[in-house]
Amino acid sequence: MTEVLDQTPQAQAAPPKTGWRRWLLGPGFVRAAWMAPLFFGIGFLIVIGLRSIAHYEPLLNWLIVVTVAGLVTAPLGFLAGIGAFDYWVYYALGYPTRPEDHSGHGARSWKDYFRVNTDHKVIGVQYVVTTIFFFLAGGLMAMIFRAELAKPGMQFLDNQEYNGLISVHASLMIFLFVIPAFAGLANFVIPLMIGAPDMAFPRLNALSFWLLPIAGIIMLSSLAVPGGAFGAGWTGYAPLSVVGTNGNVWFNMGVQWAGASSIMTALNFLVTIITMRAPGMTFWRMPLLVWANFTTSLLVVLATPFIAGSQFFVMFDRLIKTNFFNFHESGYVLGYQHIFWFYSHPAVYIMMLPGFGIASEVISVFSRKPIFGYRLMALSLCAILVLGFSVWAHHMFVSGMANWLRVPMMVTTLLIAVPTGIKVFSWLATTWEGRIHLATPMLFALGFVSMFVIGGLSGIMLGAVPIDIHVSDTYFVVAHIHYVLLGGSLFTIFAGIYYWFPKMTGRMYNERLGKLHFWLTFIGFNLTFFPMHIIGVQGMPRRVSDYDPQFGTWNMIISISSFFLGASFIVFLYNAITSWIRGPLAGANPWHAMTLEWQVSSPPPIFNFDEIPQIVGGPYEYGVPGARHAVFNGAREHELEEARSP
Amino acid sequence: MAAHAEAHHGPPIAHQSSRVDAPTLGMLLFIASEIMLFGSFFTIYFFARVVAGPDQWPPPPFHLPVFVAGINTAILLTSSFTMHWALQAIKRGNRAGMQAGLVLTLALGLTFLLTQIREYSRVGFSPQDGAFGSTFYGLTGLHGAHVFVGLTILTFATIRAFRGHFTAAEHRGVEISGIYWHFVDVMWIVVYTTVYIL
Amino acid sequence: MRRGAIVRVVVIALLAAGAATAVALFIPWLPPVQSKEGERIDFVFWVVVAICIAVFAVVAAVTLYSVITFRVRPDDDSDGPPVHGHTGLEITWTAIPAVLVTIIAVLSAVALAENGDLKSNRLKVDVTARQFAWSFKYPQYGGFETTELRLEENRQVELNLRALDVIHSFWVPEFRQKQDAVPGIVTHLPITPTKVGTDTLICTELCGLGHALMRAKVIVMRPADFEQWARAQQRKGAQAGAG
Ligand code: HEA
Ligand code: HEA
Ligand code: CUA
Ligand SMILES: [Cu+2]
Repeated sequence: MTEVLDQTPQAQAAPPKTGWRRWLLGPGFVRAAWMAPLFFGIGFLIVIGLRSIAHYEPLLNWLIVVTVAGLVTAPLGFLAGIGAFDYWVYYALGYPTRPEDHSGHGARSWKDYFRVNTDHKVIGVQYVVTTIFFFLAGGLMAMIFRAELAKPGMQFLDNQEYNGLISVHASLMIFLFVIPAFAGLANFVIPLMIGAPDMAFPRLNALSFWLLPIAGIIMLSSLAVPGGAFGAGWTGYAPLSVVGTNGNVWFNMGVQWAGASSIMTALNFLVTIITMRAPGMTFWRMPLLVWANFTTSLLVVLATPFIAGSQFFVMFDRLIKTNFFNFHESGYVLGYQHIFWFYSHPAVYIMMLPGFGIASEVISVFSRKPIFGYRLMALSLCAILVLGFSVWAHHMFVSGMANWLRVPMMVTTLLIAVPTGIKVFSWLATTWEGRIHLATPMLFALGFVSMFVIGGLSGIMLGAVPIDIHVSDTYFVVAHIHYVLLGGSLFTIFAGIYYWFPKMTGRMYNERLGKLHFWLTFIGFNLTFFPMHIIGVQGMPRRVSDYDPQFGTWNMIISISSFFLGASFIVFLYNAITSWIRGPLAGANPWHAMTLEWQVSSPPPIFNFDEIPQIVGGPYEYGVPGARHAVFNGAREHELEEARSP
Repeated sequence: MAAHAEAHHGPPIAHQSSRVDAPTLGMLLFIASEIMLFGSFFTIYFFARVVAGPDQWPPPPFHLPVFVAGINTAILLTSSFTMHWALQAIKRGNRAGMQAGLVLTLALGLTFLLTQIREYSRVGFSPQDGAFGSTFYGLTGLHGAHVFVGLTILTFATIRAFRGHFTAAEHRGVEISGIYWHFVDVMWIVVYTTVYIL
Repeated sequence: MRRGAIVRVVVIALLAAGAATAVALFIPWLPPVQSKEGERIDFVFWVVVAICIAVFAVVAAVTLYSVITFRVRPDDDSDGPPVHGHTGLEITWTAIPAVLVTIIAVLSAVALAENGDLKSNRLKVDVTARQFAWSFKYPQYGGFETTELRLEENRQVELNLRALDVIHSFWVPEFRQKQDAVPGIVTHLPITPTKVGTDTLICTELCGLGHALMRAKVIVMRPADFEQWARAQQRKGAQAGAG
C-alpha cells in the first residue's frame, strides 16, 4: 500500500521546483528559517510606521517591537515557512488547487512527523509527543521550586525566579499539556470512532497543531526575558500582571496562540462530529469519548475568547498605557477576574470532560460490560457544560466582588457535584460484577476515579463560601488543583496513552513497566499532594517562596515525595520509547473493544477505512449475545441505509 | 496494482451525517466564538461604565461624533445589501453582477474603515484617556479589526471572482465570506448602539 | 450473594471511613480558633468534612470491592452481564448528592449571613495594603496609624481594606476570615476576636516579590488594655500634630 501512495500526482498548481529552489522555496524548515526573520522585519516596519504616523514618542519602543514582530509576525512567518498556509494562499488568489491533494497526508517515515501534515492520526501523535515534552519541562520546573521549598528560608532561588517558575509551571501544564494532550488524543481517535476518513478541515487541523510549539516556546522563553519571566501566577491577575516584569507579555501572547489553537481544534471537532458520522451513528450511538469532546469543544468555542480578551486588556495596559485595569483612571480591577474566570472556570471542565470520556471507554472495555446508564452519562456531560458557565465567581469569593453574587454562585458550584456524582457512580456500577482486567489503562482509570473524587470533594469544600474564606489562596487550593488536574486529567491522559498506544504505534507497551509506572505515580502523587491539604488548612499560603518554620517538616516530606513522583515518569519514558521502537506487534484489537477505531489495523490505514462502516448498535454492547457496533459488509449497506432513522 | 492505486489514492467519501454544509457550519461556529470575544470587550466596557464609571458618560469634556458615525453605519449597512446582491447574482449565474456586488461591497467597507480612522484622529481623545477612552477604542478598534479581516476575505473572493471562479452551482466562497461580512455589519449595529447611543 | 456483597462493601466502607476519620481527627488540621466568625466557619468545615468522608468511603469501598472480587485473569475472555442501567439506582445517586449539597449550601448561607452581621458598637479600622506592608488607622480614636493591628477582645471590628498598588489579601488563620484588598475599591471584613494573644496577619494574594514576607502582627487585648493603649496613641498623635 505504501509504495502506491507515493505516486499521488503532484498538484498541478505550482510548477515543480527543482534543486536548490525547491530546497529554499519549498515548504519546510529551511523556508521557515528565512521567512520568520523576514516577517520579523515586516512587524518591525509596521510598528515603526504606525508610531510615526500617530506621532508616538519614542519611535522605537523595543518592548512593542519585540511583542509585535517577535511574538506575532515572526511566528506567522514561521507558519508560512513550514507551509501551513500554502494551500489557502493558492486558493485565495484563485490559483488552481486540488481539493484532493493529499501530498501532505499520512506518514511514511519519521520525517513526516516534522512537517505540516494533514492526517489526523499524524497530528494526533504530534500533539501527544509535543505535549509530553512540555509536561516534562513543566514538571522539571516543579522539581526546582520543590527543592527550594524543602526548607524554610531562601535556598537558591530569588523571589522573581520563584514566582516565574510556578507561573510557567502552571501555564505549561494547563495550556500546553492538559488541554492539548486531550485534543491530541481526541484528534487521533475521534474520526476513527465516528467512522470518518479524517477531520472536517484537515489543513486547519494541521495549523492548530503548529500553533502549539509557538505558544510553548513563547512561554518557555519568557524565562529568559530581561527582568524575569511572568510571575503573577497562571491567573495573571491585574494590576500585578500590568506592573510586573515584561515577561508578562510573553504570557499574554502565549495564551493567545494556545487559545487560538484550541478554538480551531474545537471548531474542527464540532463540525466533524456533526457532519461526518458514519451511517447509523446517531448521537445516542456515539462513544462517550465523542460525547465528551463534543461538549468540551462547545466550552472551548464559547469560553476561550474571554481569556483572549482579558490578556489583550492586560497587554494594552502595559504596552500602550490604556486604562482597562488602571484604577487611577477609573479602570475596574475586578473586571479582569470576572473575564478571566468566565473562561478559566469552564477551562477546568475543558481539562476534565475529555478525561471523563477516556475513563468511560477504558472502564467499559476492561470491565467487559456496557457502560452503566449510557444516556445519563451523556446528559450529565451536557449538564456540566451548562452549569460550568454559571460558577466562575467561586474563584472570587474573597475578591471583594458584589456580595450578592456569593450565594448564587455557591449554589451552582455545589450543584455540579450532582452530574459529576452520576458519572462517578455509573463508572463504579460498570465495574460491578464485571470481568475486570487490571491492565495499565484500567489502573489509571480507576486511580483517576478515586483520586478525582478526593479532588472533587475538596472542590466542594472550596465551593462552600465560609470554608473557602478560610482556605482560599492556601495550599489547600494547591492540593485541590493537583488532585483534579494530576489525579484527574493526568491520570486519564495516561490511561488514554496506554490504551491507544497499540493503535497509534502498532506496538504493545510493556505491561509490567506500565503497572510499575502506575503504582509509583499513584503513591508518589498521594504522598506529595495529600499533605498539602493539611498545611493549607493550618495556615500556609500559596505562591510563597518562604514560609513559617512550623511547616518545615511537612514541606520536606512533600519535596522528597515529589522527587519520587518525578522519577516515576522516567519509567514511562523508557517504556514508551523502547516499546515504540521494538515492542511486540499489537494486532488490530488487543483489548477486544467494540468501538470503531479497533476494527481497523494498527496503525490504521491512511484514510482509516477502505469502506465507510455501517453502525448498527451501541458502542459498548459487551456481553450482549450477537451484538455488533458496526458492520463493514458493503452489500448490507444499502439494506441498512433504508432501515436507518433519518 | 493500478486498480489498487486507484482505490487508495483518495479517501472514501465521508458519509454526510447532517444536512448542514461543513464549511458553513464552521463559519457559524467561528462567529459564535467571535461573538464571545466581543462579549469580553462589552463586559469590560460595562464594568468601566456602570460599575467603576464616572457619573457622566462620556466623561466631560469628551464628546462622541454620533452623527458621523451614524452615516458610517449607514454605509456599512448598505454594504450588506450589496454583498447580498453579489450572492444572489451568482446564484442566478450572473457573473458580472457578482463582480459588481463584490467590488461595491469592498469599496463601501473601505470607506467605512477610512472614515473610522479619520474619526479616530479627530475625536479628541486617545485610548489613554481614562477607562472611557480605552473601552471606546477597545470596542471600535476590535470591530475595525474585524472589518479589516472581512475586507481581506472579500478581497480574496473578489480576486477569485475576476479569475473566473464561482458558478451558479458552486459559490461557497462568496456565500461564506458573505456570512462573515453580515456578521461584521450586525456586530457594528450593536457596537454603535452601545457606544454612541446608549 | 447479593446481600453478602453489600455487607462486605459496607464493611470496607466503614473501614475506609474510619481511616479517613482518624486522619481527620489525629492530624491537627485547623489552627486554634480565636474569633466568633471562625467558630461558625469551623462548624461548616467539620460538617462538610463528615459528608466528604462518607462519600469518599462509599467510592473507595466499591472500587476496592470490585477490583478484588471481580478481577479475572488476563487470559479470561468472557464478558460480564450486559446490564445497561437501573433507573432506581440512577435516581438514588442523583437525589442523595442533591440533598447533601443542599444541606451544605443552606448551612453555608446561614453561616455567611451571620458572619456578615455588623454590630453597632463595633470598632472600625482602616487597613491599607501596599507592596509589601500593612498599616492600620483607627478613625474612632483620632485616626492614628500603626503598623501592627491591635484589637479588642469580644468586640467586633470592621476592617475597611484599601490597596494602593496591586491586590493584597488580609488573612489571619486563627480568625479564619479573609478578604482581598483591591486597588480602587474599599472592601470590608468583620471579625470578633475571642481570645487575648498575638497572631500573624498574612498576605495571601500574590502581590509581587515581597509577597511571602508581607506580614504584620495582630494583637488581641483585654478591653481595658485596648482602651488605654488606643487613648495613649491618640494623645501621641495629637501632640505630634500640634508640635
Ligand atoms: C480539572 C480541573 C478542575 C476540576 C474538574 C475542578 C472541579 C471543581 N472545583 Fe476546582 N479548581 C481547579 C481545577 C479544577 N476544579 C483549579 C486549577 C483551581 C485553582 C485556580 C487557581 O490557580 O486559583 C480550582 C479552584 C477552585 C475553587 C476556588 C478556590 C479558591 O481559589 O479560593 C473552587 C471554589 O469553589 C473550586 C471548586 C470546584 C468544584 C466544586 C468542582 C467540582 O466540579 C467537583 C465535582 C466533583 C465531585 C464533588 C466528586 C464526585 C461526586 C460525587 C462522588 C457525588 C457525591 C458528592 C457530594 C454529595 C459532595 N475549585
Ligand atoms: C496538570 C497540571 C499540573 C501538574 C501535572 C502539576 C505537577 C506538579 N506540580 Fe503543580 N501546579 C499546577 C498544575 C500542575 N502541577 C497549577 C495550575 C498550579 C498553580 C500555579 C499558580 O499558583 O499560579 C501549580 C502549583 C504548584 C505548586 C504551588 C506553588 C505555589 O503556590 O507556590 C506546587 C508546590 O509544590 C506544585 C508542585 C507540583 C509537582 C511537584 C508536580 C509533579 O507532579 C511534577 C512531576 C513531573 C516531573 C518531575 C517531570 C517528569 C519527570 C522527568 C523528566 C524525570 C526526571 C526528573 C527527576 C528525576 C526529578 N505545583
Ligand atoms: Cu501583599 Cu501578597
Ligand atoms: Cu472553578
